[in-house]
Amino acid sequence: MKFTPTVLTEEEERLRDDVREFLAAELPPDFRPGLGMGAGANREFSKKLAARGWLGMAVPKEYGGQARTAVDRFIVTEELLSRGAPLGAHFVADRQTAPTIMKFGTEEQRRYFVPKITAGELAFSLGMSEPDSGSDLSSVRTAGTKVEGGWLLNGTKVWTSGAHQNDYFAVLCRTSPFDGDRHNGLSQLIVDLRAEGVTVNPIPFLDGGHHFNEVVLKDVFVPDDRVLGELGSGWMQVTSELAYERSGPDRFLSTFGLLKYFLAEHEPSSLSSEQQRVVGQITARYWTIRQLSLSIARTIDEGGAPAIEAALVKDIGTKFEQQTIALIRDVVDIELDPHQGSMFELLLAEATLSGPSFTLRGGTTEVLRSVASKGLAK
Amino acid sequence: MNQDQSAIASALRAILADHSTQESVIAAEGPGFAEEAWKVLGEGGFASISIPESAGGSGGDLADACVVLHEVGRAAAAVPFAEHTLLAGWALAEAGRALPEGVSTMSTRSSESLSVTAADGGAVLDGVLTRVPWASNAAQIVVLADLDGAAQLIVVPTASVTIEPGRNVALESRDLVRFDKVSVPADAMVAAPASVTAEALELRAALSRAALISGALERVTEVTVRYTAEREQFGRPIARFQAVQRHLVRIAEQSVSAQMAVDAAATNAVTGLDFFDIASAKIVASEAAGIVSAASHQAHGAIGMTKEYELGQLTRRLWSWRDECGSEASWSRRLGAHLAEEGADALWPRITTGLAPERRNEKVAGR
Repeated sequence: MKFTPTVLTEEEERLRDDVREFLAAELPPDFRPGLGMGAGANREFSKKLAARGWLGMAVPKEYGGQARTAVDRFIVTEELLSRGAPLGAHFVADRQTAPTIMKFGTEEQRRYFVPKITAGELAFSLGMSEPDSGSDLSSVRTAGTKVEGGWLLNGTKVWTSGAHQNDYFAVLCRTSPFDGDRHNGLSQLIVDLRAEGVTVNPIPFLDGGHHFNEVVLKDVFVPDDRVLGELGSGWMQVTSELAYERSGPDRFLSTFGLLKYFLAEHEPSSLSSEQQRVVGQITARYWTIRQLSLSIARTIDEGGAPAIEAALVKDIGTKFEQQTIALIRDVVDIELDPHQGSMFELLLAEATLSGPSFTLRGGTTEVLRSVASKGLAK
Repeated sequence: MNQDQSAIASALRAILADHSTQESVIAAEGPGFAEEAWKVLGEGGFASISIPESAGGSGGDLADACVVLHEVGRAAAAVPFAEHTLLAGWALAEAGRALPEGVSTMSTRSSESLSVTAADGGAVLDGVLTRVPWASNAAQIVVLADLDGAAQLIVVPTASVTIEPGRNVALESRDLVRFDKVSVPADAMVAAPASVTAEALELRAALSRAALISGALERVTEVTVRYTAEREQFGRPIARFQAVQRHLVRIAEQSVSAQMAVDAAATNAVTGLDFFDIASAKIVASEAAGIVSAASHQAHGAIGMTKEYELGQLTRRLWSWRDECGSEASWSRRLGAHLAEEGADALWPRITTGLAPERRNEKVAGR
């Protein structure tokens, strides 16, 4: 287990300044911030970021990227998240799909998908969970049957965020029968969400919002060239995807707006000592967790594979996001209303309603602890 | 950690493995001070790391000193490195003086309860200092005091004061010192330079405790991982139970968090003490101390509650150090008040100032 504090180069700090300047110009003063990666989707906003070269930053230039680093991407992402900017249209494709296609995809897939992702033109969802398959992902039942020129896909995916707005999703499915090892015979297929046989049904979120969907796949034809990477390596691809994309700023900044607007809406002299205590306690943790998370990005750039560290930081970060809500709630005395109130009050209501998802998405706390504890024993 | 720091850490770990054994840690609880370990650190030149060679020290900087403290914390060694070196030694060196012979200690709160008046070219000290670390074991106490509007460093021999012994819960000396109109001559005083302020001493002291905590946390993590892998119940090692794994992961998370905060604060402190960094490090370390102590005892069961087992030597220090030099609650209040004054828009830029830019060239070059 190794975390080394990292200092940003002058070039990296300049990138941060550019992003701050851009956000100051783009987001109006009365902008309603979102909570982390749950912030709204706005394709125009994503395209503007793309025009600045801030999508697919670590992708090589010949595929439309910037050939920059994980740290550069970290900086852009943390600036967007700290403002609650609407990054929903590009977030999954930028964080997960583009790197996976670059790493495992065919040359044709790289040339077709990646430049469109880095241009902010294609939005992706993840097709992992199923009604009977959550943390135990290798038990997926969605299956492809081989036909002439491709696969006929049948099954149901759930909790598919953004499927109603996005273009594609990468579906984890079984492409050959169970051979005694559940991790064998799984593949990832890139599926057009508008293809024939795909039905997207909303699953209302508990606050009434529409993020989640059920995606029913009925005899959906997926051509052979849309098998992502190698047939049968789906499990290895999915776990490698999860391991490194786990510990970014999206895992600790979801509720930053709460603290910021709490400060913005309170006169310094009016703060009770309990309120001061909570502000100090939370900020000290932000400073620390950010450096843990940043050090993982730097390690990845240096060629390391900090999978255990990433699991640990995700667990630290997402639990902290929830603690933040509880700590702040503890020192204010308000009744929550999801529709009216000051910006701080609206964010507190929203955070209370969406908070439980922070330690579920991207691997539950329980699964992460199992990953991390195996690493500790080594 | 740079190469020098790695060398300090590995050399010290080997020395302390021999001279701060579980038996000697228990033996040191009698006098409240590990005399032998301190002597060995002095002989190796470790006891004066961060004091410039021009003032008789071994050289090095504050980050190097925090590496020493980390190892001292790991080894549960009752040695006065923080007060002797980081406070008294530093303050005197800043004023151009070398440390006198024997253990020196220093309190960060002299201004609260001590009156100092000029007399016969020297000064007279009157009042009480509470919870002075190692006073019973020290040859002199260094006091920062205001004398007729000028800050002075005053070296007071412990022979001239009355000491009422006290202890922290790890049974390290934390004593009450009565200055009963103690006269000191002119040559016991030196004008304190602008860098030596009560605030600087307070920040250095807080950083020292955070560094000690980070060392003890690292060791508690190792001890708990080892024990839970060896101890079998219901036919398998208890580390295989998810309920126990939960404790282990929690311990590791808190330990790496404290270590990161201390590393960053200590590295930044080399180019200038920063209130935000050090407050944050002490908050995170002190909070971790409580969480890790609770989780490690739960994972150990009854063996952890015995005096001869290593865990208790560490957790009793964690419970002491988290309160010393400001608890997480008191630093959090101060930091919160400071941040509120700075305003909401300054919050994020401050959080993203991790390792200070002044360290950039050096760190990037050394990477």
